[in-house]
Amino acid sequence: MASLMRNAYTAVIARGELWQGSVQTEPYEAAWAGEAVLFVHVLEAKGNGTAVARVQISPDGMHWVDEGAELAIQAQADDLSFARVVNFGGWLRLSVTVPPSAGITVVATLALKA
Amino acid sequence: MSTSPAVHATHGDPRLSRFDPLQRVIYFDDFDHGLNGWTTLVGNYEDSLETMTRSYARHMQPMLSQITHWDSGTHGSFDGTYALKIATRAVPGERNTAIKRITFRKASRIRVETYFAFKPEASELKLSVLDVRSVGLLFDLQDGHERVMPHLRYLNALDGQRMDRWQFKQRSLPFRAVGGRNETVTHDHLNPQDWEDIPGAGQKLCFNEIPTKINWHYLRFDFDLERMRWLGFQCNDQHFDCAGVESIRMPAMPNLSCMLNLVFFCESDTAKRAFFYLDSVLLSGDF
Repeated sequence: MASLMRNAYTAVIARGELWQGSVQTEPYEAAWAGEAVLFVHVLEAKGNGTAVARVQISPDGMHWVDEGAELAIQAQADDLSFARVVNFGGWLRLSVTVPPSAGITVVATLALKA
Repeated sequence: MSTSPAVHATHGDPRLSRFDPLQRVIYFDDFDHGLNGWTTLVGNYEDSLETMTRSYARHMQPMLSQITHWDSGTHGSFDGTYALKIATRAVPGERNTAIKRITFRKASRIRVETYFAFKPEASELKLSVLDVRSVGLLFDLQDGHERVMPHLRYLNALDGQRMDRWQFKQRSLPFRAVGGRNETVTHDHLNPQDWEDIPGAGQKLCFNEIPTKINWHYLRFDFDLERMRWLGFQCNDQHFDCAGVESIRMPAMPNLSCMLNLVFFCESDTAKRAFFYLDSVLLSGDF
């Protein structure tokens, strides 16, 4: 029965972190998963503007390229944004650019499913 | 006609034949089948994540790794594709953890066994043998009287020096209240201080010769839940009896009755990510 269930796991890839300027999340390895949804929840925000988080993939966890999916993150408390990706190979991360006028404290989540 | 040789009982399940479990298998987690209840160890907090001790707030989620390298592709795990991977950030002294939380039904002898490997991120084309500071495990246990935390680590390198020895902890930093409501306290028992050498427990492991070649090692750790005492451990072909080796101890705390938490952790010694891989983890008990 267990083998019929789709494996799933949610990883918190940023927990209460303040994002300013240019930020990259730590590499997360998930070759077992066929699909992923990346969420960014803004806990607190300073200033205003829109941050852009680009989903990136990698052949080795060290060299990164844009996957194409992006999250537009509003610098306001409780903003919640997401991006869906499939066929991403072995690694995922977010590469984030926050405008100089803003700083956001976030929880970023990677919801993976086989 | 020749007769078949006697078959050992564990050959009925070849996955178990490389372990020596006690009478009862409490859990057997093969990471080819998922995370199996292993997650990250976050610190305690009240009202805001900002109340969390910084070193705990830095902990990241474990993952399932194929152990794929830029030069040689997928290494794979001991008996399949995936291993549990605990990765630090690329900062000297950083650590990370993976935890599984259960409770015990009998205060018996327990045994944890695992096949493990560790490596730094292969970001330089050199031996890199001094980049991982340590890998280790700890139990977080509580009976009716005490909370007891045996800590064991293999200290590979410290401040750029080769160490090659097993260590334990019997002291920790004091508790502090997390918030203003007096509901929660915290203590950083994995802080870099207070590690002591286990007498006679020096050991050289098989690091191999470049960062992208790994070898699996066997580790067994035995503990007596009834007396809350170390019973010894084994890594590969070396056995250590641990007479006189103690644990961090404190009076029993609210809400932790019969706690049986197991944590694996690793630390980096340089500005390079340290990776601790577990092929599988088997916890067994004598009941």
